[in-house]
Amino acid sequence: MNFNFIRTLAKNHNRNWLGVISLLLGLLVWHLITRYSGIPNFILPAPLSVWTRFLKALSDGSLIYHTGITLSEIVLGLLVGTMFATVVGYGLAKSRSLEKVLSPYLVASQAIPVVAIAPLLVIWLGDGILSKVVICALIVFFPVLVNTIVGVRAVPIALYDLMNSLHASRSQILWKVEVPASLPVFLGGLRIGATLSVIGAIVGELVGAEEGLGFLLQLGDFQYDTPMVFVAVFMLIALALVLYGIVTLLEKRFLRWQEK
Amino acid sequence: MFRKVVLITLGMALALSACGSLKPTNGTGALTKIRLPMGYIPNIQFAPFYVAIQKGYFRDAGIEIEFDYKFETDGIKLVGTGDVPFALVSGEQVLLARAQGLPVVYIAAWYQQYPVSVVAKSELGILIPQDLKGKKIGLPGLFGANYVGLRALLFKAHMSESDVTLDSIGFNQVDLMAAGQQDVVVGYTANEPIQLRARGIPVTEIRVADYVQLASNGILASEKVIKENPELVRAFIGAFLKGLSDTIANPDEAFKTSETYIPNFADLDAKVQKQVLETSIEQWKTERLGYSNPQAWENMQNVLLEMGLITDKLDLNKAYTNEFIP
Repeated sequence: MNFNFIRTLAKNHNRNWLGVISLLLGLLVWHLITRYSGIPNFILPAPLSVWTRFLKALSDGSLIYHTGITLSEIVLGLLVGTMFATVVGYGLAKSRSLEKVLSPYLVASQAIPVVAIAPLLVIWLGDGILSKVVICALIVFFPVLVNTIVGVRAVPIALYDLMNSLHASRSQILWKVEVPASLPVFLGGLRIGATLSVIGAIVGELVGAEEGLGFLLQLGDFQYDTPMVFVAVFMLIALALVLYGIVTLLEKRFLRWQEK
Repeated sequence: MFRKVVLITLGMALALSACGSLKPTNGTGALTKIRLPMGYIPNIQFAPFYVAIQKGYFRDAGIEIEFDYKFETDGIKLVGTGDVPFALVSGEQVLLARAQGLPVVYIAAWYQQYPVSVVAKSELGILIPQDLKGKKIGLPGLFGANYVGLRALLFKAHMSESDVTLDSIGFNQVDLMAAGQQDVVVGYTANEPIQLRARGIPVTEIRVADYVQLASNGILASEKVIKENPELVRAFIGAFLKGLSDTIANPDEAFKTSETYIPNFADLDAKVQKQVLETSIEQWKTERLGYSNPQAWENMQNVLLEMGLITDKLDLNKAYTNEFIP
């Protein structure tokens, strides 16, 4: 009699429940491994010991402080990288000759792993926030750039014809056609960029920093404090998830018209 | 048939156990291969090891050494996991590692003096720790022996970190000081002051060891090897201490021996390298080579507690032992 109700519930919440169950199962397996395998805490800490370390770092303020530093590097890097990528991307989408001139450099810049040039950037720009922001921006730049180009080029010619027949100005075409039409692809690039920016900040901090989650991670490593390393890694995952979530929300907000 | 199987199995088990054990053998038997994490690049300061190999002390002890020039903390982790039996480490690392539950024991002291100095440009007239008040001090970072040594010095002089400004500059003390960007730096007694003077920069030096005795660099062993193969530990320490004793007695010979173990040694300034060795020897000399001074360990623990790097007192008798030194 109640089966229908349960089935509907299961259908609606199916995915959410699966996620939670899988997380809990993962934690349980982790707990059991640490409990019965005899692996010492400094190699694989138990979930509970990571949790205790998390609470300690939270209460002494160090976790919030270092997370704040990393977050500001990420946000600044994301802003700078996205800004440059959008401007350059729009230019490249509009001008084939500009693309011919710049694309060898752009492709080459992507062939260099950021990890390899991070030490150079730290030497050139110092070990403060600037080098991290630049590394972040570099890593964000390419996916956003590519998607900007693809998005702008995908605007249907018919829409331009329509706007031209209405004697629309250059800026009207930009804001009323090009921006909305390319937004879905652009935001897809931003979503990738946002998660990559976390990697950028950490790469920069691991090379040379006195603050930030990358520093905390390295400190934990140097002091054989493996639970601290886990806490830092989980914070990074959380940051990446939050950023990803924000871009997804932006997509929902700005692309609502698409669903209709 | 059954008996045959049992015999074969027993034979194999015996053969396997013979291969598996790390028993040192004398003279003709197979040598026990040991990978030794050194914690630094090939350097003249490792002369006692080079001498001990060259003179066959390790071979006579049934040991074949393979140097592994990796990071100090990585070496300690390998000892902690039991992957390698020994590593060269700084004293504070032993307590930090034990505080996190790594089953490691310091089995022989190599440096009797903590090898860190504060180096300042001569014109500043910095001669005692109190002179550092209000100064900006460059150091590789807020970790490792440089940081611990500086904090110990300040602690001893009843000063705290807030009395000075610390500037993390990586391992660039010599270059930044030569470029005029730093006036006071922390470095190794046997390195930075010598390098700076060699570049014609007059410096004064405050040696941490002149103010406080701290557990310094030495040899770390896993609890596992101590329990399962104490003879190997004794043999290893014995061979090392012979090399150390010979190096102290005959620095010129040790210098010559080291040449073959250090890549591009000919390109280095021989005069500077000789001074590095001389200064290192000053820090090694003692009546009983290898001896760990209990007070030095107490002092180190107090400094780490004060710094907040460890939160609880440790059982120091488990952290070091003098059991294996002659």
